[in-house]
Amino acid sequence: MTKHRAKDDHDVVTQLRAALSGPAETVLTPSRTRVKKWFAAEAPLIQWGEMSSPLGPLFAAVNQRGLCALDFGRQESEFLQRFDNRARLEKDPKAVQRVLAQLREYFAGDRSSFNLPVDISQLTPFQRSVLDVACRIAPGQVWTYQRIAKELGRPRSSRPVGGALARNPIPIVIPCHRVIASDGSLGGYSGGSGLKAKRWLLRLEGAM
Amino acid sequence: MALRFEELIERHHDEIFAYLWRLTGNDGRRDAATDVEDLTQDVFLRAYDSFAGLRPNSNHRAWLYKIATHCAYTQLRRMKHRRDKLSLLKHSAAELETASDDSSSRKDMEQRVRALVNELPAKQKACVTLRYLQDLDYPEIAQILSCSQESARANVYQAIRHLRLALEEEK
Repeated sequence: MTKHRAKDDHDVVTQLRAALSGPAETVLTPSRTRVKKWFAAEAPLIQWGEMSSPLGPLFAAVNQRGLCALDFGRQESEFLQRFDNRARLEKDPKAVQRVLAQLREYFAGDRSSFNLPVDISQLTPFQRSVLDVACRIAPGQVWTYQRIAKELGRPRSSRPVGGALARNPIPIVIPCHRVIASDGSLGGYSGGSGLKAKRWLLRLEGAM
Repeated sequence: MALRFEELIERHHDEIFAYLWRLTGNDGRRDAATDVEDLTQDVFLRAYDSFAGLRPNSNHRAWLYKIATHCAYTQLRRMKHRRDKLSLLKHSAAELETASDDSSSRKDMEQRVRALVNELPAKQKACVTLRYLQDLDYPEIAQILSCSQESARANVYQAIRHLRLALEEEK
């Protein structure tokens, strides 16, 4: 390309930029508002909040059905990462006020069970049935993975039961920490700091 | 942390709107803004439907531009069909001639350039818009238009050449 031609092309680009400068803010704003409004109506809303607990920072989230996630001893970003990336996340302490109040009572030893609507609809029917059984374990008691499997009529499914408990999105409230191995060892725990947290919770409830 | 859809809107709405505006909304129609608004909404609606299946390390910006380009192509075809039907092409040419009478006017020159850009083939129009108006680099343009970088460069070259020759002719 000659120098002359390059200059001409540069002039064309300059003319192009002048002729097709971006849209005015008065045109952009209504579109931005419209897309955001549509998203607010379309995307599921998840409201979350946090509190400090003996097990570290504790996060809880609710959707329109009820409590859908709880975790502790992790970073805020780790907690938020678990949600569908199309959902609308809002930090709203008021929305989780009731959840956090009951948890405070639990940690203070003033409450042993929870009275909260929960949403575990994202789990498989088997995972849900395992968590339903876990909710029947009274505070201060422990069941084995095998006992839960038997309760479900699948006595050889101890391992899948363990897998389902590991996917419990609402530990403490759904007391998966009350399930231990048949040999008396603690088994596993996916909440917070793992087995350390499980031991702490069982001690709080007088099961150890 | 994986990008959330609300961040996608926050980060890219304005540039996607500007891109669609430049591709489909610069022909002076009264309802152009509403059409581009509809088109932008359509882009984000389509993006929302397939967002969950997108890999976290994907180039979200290029992906969004790709959807926008598809939507714009459909709109340009529709506009061309409408123009052909109403013989608006003649009107556009007449407008071009009228504009040429007063070449000293900056507004007339801009109008001429816009009319010339609107006559470019859709791919050349997209390439030159992405390169010089949206300031994207060639690897990204190639990704958006599902073509090689060489093809993207060639289309930009052809578009600029066409505009230069047309503007020289009018001098």
